[in-house]
Amino acid sequence: MPELLVTIYDVFMRTYKGFLQAGLLTIEITAIAVVVGTFLGIVFALMKISHSKILQTIANLYITIIRGTPLIVQIMFLYYGITSIIILSNFWAGAIALGIHNGAYIAEIFRGSIQGVDRGQREASLALGMNRTQTMRRIIFPQALRRAIPPLGNQFIITLKDSSLVYVIGVSELFGLANREAASSFLPLETFLVVGFYYLVLVMIFTALLRWYENKLDVDK
Amino acid sequence: MIKAENIHKSFGKLEVLKGIDMEVHPGEVVVMVGVSGSGKSTFLRCLNFLELTNDGVITIDGKRVDQKKDDLSKVRAEVGMVFQHFNLFPHKTVLENVMEAPIMVKKMDKAKAKANALDILGKVGLSDKADVYPNKLSGGQKQRVAIARALAMEPKALLFDEPTSALDPELVGEVLQVMKELAEDGMTMVVVTHEMKFAKEVADRIIMLNEGVIIEDADPDTFFNHSTNERTRQFLEMVNV
Repeated sequence: MPELLVTIYDVFMRTYKGFLQAGLLTIEITAIAVVVGTFLGIVFALMKISHSKILQTIANLYITIIRGTPLIVQIMFLYYGITSIIILSNFWAGAIALGIHNGAYIAEIFRGSIQGVDRGQREASLALGMNRTQTMRRIIFPQALRRAIPPLGNQFIITLKDSSLVYVIGVSELFGLANREAASSFLPLETFLVVGFYYLVLVMIFTALLRWYENKLDVDK
Repeated sequence: MIKAENIHKSFGKLEVLKGIDMEVHPGEVVVMVGVSGSGKSTFLRCLNFLELTNDGVITIDGKRVDQKKDDLSKVRAEVGMVFQHFNLFPHKTVLENVMEAPIMVKKMDKAKAKANALDILGKVGLSDKADVYPNKLSGGQKQRVAIARALAMEPKALLFDEPTSALDPELVGEVLQVMKELAEDGMTMVVVTHEMKFAKEVADRIIMLNEGVIIEDADPDTFFNHSTNERTRQFLEMVNV
């Protein structure tokens, strides 16, 4: 056991510079995916609760396909599919694929939180003469957003960890680097323990930020 | 001011309103009573188009409203509504609750909307609560804010849907007092309520609904003391007047 600790320490000291850079890449991919996913999530949630059958069908189709296929297949599909049409780095292909993937789950989070806002809120807003768009933008959505924050935070943590899958298209983010290090050093156990530690730290930092933000919202209210 | 002719409303197979005719004149206070399920709240909601009627004509201030073609937001902007459960916007302060619709609907500038809102909050006795969030208020205070919020749109008429039914008994008085002052100021009001004392003191007319039809439409004295209608008398006995 002490030998294992020693080799882990060696691996850590030898690789931390590389991992810090790779970690930055992981954060970037996650951030892009979160922004893209949140945007798509809002759009598709609004489509799903709209009165238009066509918009509803499009949203349902998107959600069904994305939730029904593995993320790794979506990453491969987007990378090899899109790069045959336009030139896209593997970094952007991976980040966008992850964003599109998340959009489906985030759409369901927003749909639930919008529909969870008390019906009386909508009625009170309409009764004051506000139209449907104003009612959604000023009254319903801000309240839905507060309700959505805990499940959204959860989804963002999943995104952070899922970003490891973009290693399959050759992005040198945390897991991609770990994979190469493990192979070249013949120390897979130690290397993957180290990379697991980096993910854990990132998730813990993010969780703390999220808790701080939730508390802030509560105080305002 | 508000005229309803032959209003029919069904929810699925259940016919809730079976042909209601009534008119509210400017400055008049009409109190609607009836046992629960008689259709009084549904009727009130139809007057503000929160429920769309299956048949009948509603005329607001001389204009016949076409439920399908007219912009109902414009119609609703002219008739205020106060709800049983207040429905204040929890993410906005008291002041913001009152300012919201004048800014969004009437495009009033912020400074003027704020001055107006503070003025109205003063009238309902809540100037000191302007910057508080609704969850810090008592039920009676919440309902007074809701009334202020409706008044800020300078409505031609106000609809009250059981405004005191969700309140603790000791808080009912302050809300009724505000409503009474509004009535004295000449506000046109339609009030669905179980407060018989309020009906007796403030109403110009009392309308009794039963199973989706109006069975009595009379001044308070006639309604409380000289009604010949069997169901009205049963109702009055039930509510202990």
